Amino acid sequence: MTRILTIAWIVWLKMLRKKDIYVLLILLGAFLIIIISLNVFGLGGMVNYVKDAGLLMAWIFGWMMAVNVSSREIPEEETRGTIFPLLAKPLTRFEFLFGKLLGSWSIVISATLLFYIMVVGIVLMRGGSCDLITTMQGYVLHCMALAVICAISMAFSTRMNQDAAASMTYVFTVTAFFLVRRIPVLMFYTEGLRANIMMIIYNLMPHLELFDMRKRIIHDYGPLDFKTFAAVLTYGALLSFLFLILSFLAYRKKHFSRGNMLG
Amino acid sequence: MSSAIEIYNLTVVFEQGKIKALDNLDLVVGEGQVFGFLGPNGAGKTTVMHVLLNFITATSGEARIFGSNVKHSIARQRIGYLPEHPDTYRFLTGRELLTMAGHLFLIRRKALRARIDEVLEQTGIEDAANRKIATYSRGMMQRICLAQALINDPDLIILDEPTSGLDPIGRMDIRTIITNLKNKGKTVFFSSHELSEVELVCDHLAILNKGRIVTEGPALELVAPGESLEKYFMRALGVLPTNLDIAR
Repeated sequence: MTRILTIAWIVWLKMLRKKDIYVLLILLGAFLIIIISLNVFGLGGMVNYVKDAGLLMAWIFGWMMAVNVSSREIPEEETRGTIFPLLAKPLTRFEFLFGKLLGSWSIVISATLLFYIMVVGIVLMRGGSCDLITTMQGYVLHCMALAVICAISMAFSTRMNQDAAASMTYVFTVTAFFLVRRIPVLMFYTEGLRANIMMIIYNLMPHLELFDMRKRIIHDYGPLDFKTFAAVLTYGALLSFLFLILSFLAYRKKHFSRGNMLG
Repeated sequence: MSSAIEIYNLTVVFEQGKIKALDNLDLVVGEGQVFGFLGPNGAGKTTVMHVLLNFITATSGEARIFGSNVKHSIARQRIGYLPEHPDTYRFLTGRELLTMAGHLFLIRRKALRARIDEVLEQTGIEDAANRKIATYSRGMMQRICLAQALINDPDLIILDEPTSGLDPIGRMDIRTIITNLKNKGKTVFFSSHELSEVELVCDHLAILNKGRIVTEGPALELVAPGESLEKYFMRALGVLPTNLDIAR
């Protein structure tokens, strides 16, 4: 575990010392405050509008950050050649990948926590209320969705450069979030082989929509019952682990091409 | 004498068989030797090192370090490695880099602190230890990378072109470090294009060409008295002297 934590610690230090993260945080924070403060059609005073806009921003921001942070870690190590001294130590490739995933994910969920605190703070300042348990559940499930996105992004980055991995992750996860949930409706209008293929896709794709509790938080529907919450959490953990294993399978025998391999 | 490195019938093929980087290579490096690994560009020197460190998997054959198969991470417990053109995390300070390297070897905190001071002194970079690596010169970068390779007090040090790009003082310092390691009974396995460097520090040599060992043995036995290593190297590779060489 020490080795995994050491790799995660390096990811944190890099993020904190390279100033781009602060710029991103400040920009998105400012954007969030502007969106929340706007008084569109006189809705500015409505607390639900504030919650909706704030949580939407937190989701978009978290998603972008998860993809960008986790897709760049491995390609950057390889192109700079910093991977060589690392893997020359008694560090397995699984530990390396796990450390990178843990580091990226913990950064993303920490930044997302700041956003939740900011949204809840503004709601309370406007005289509204947020059910603490529902909001915490929403945050935890949001974190689990981010773990899945980070793991998918890292899996792509084991065999692609950063840009390609980020693009593939956006296509894959956005499809999973917005389109997969509509497949049962589409299946109503199809039959035969096409319907079977749709069914397979529906079952194979990650169901990221399950982690989205925004509506419950916005409209105060109350928290999820414990069994459902635990089931979704377990599903997210398994999904993240599955993509971590896929990363490992893609990475365990990878040949590195930097430098003169035939030197 | 037991062996630090054992390589048997090692073959590495790239690009689906189009490039044969190593061809049935056999090599044994005894413990305590300073072993110079020579060869022209593309001979396969780095490939051998990368197989030993499990960066690439051999197509066939076997490689062992202190008796452990290189595929197991435990084989790297007693190794220190300095890559060619080393680069590292520039956002860290030298001391932080060494702390990170020590944690990967699971060295305890107190022992690690003492070891960091030791390797910083050994590599002559203690004054810059608390500075960001981004501010280091090329020579300092080489030294801090060497320091992280020595953090676990390795019994086998693998150096890929350790003096490349260094000024004469930097080269001399690296030579001194290698000699000190040799005096401590460590095994040093290194590749170099600087034949004069190799001549000064190595007790064993192997010349590699097109993935095969052309010649190998104790340096004093291979190179005839009065002959330079450069001439021996050319002779071993079958390179005919040019008019320029004859004029010299």
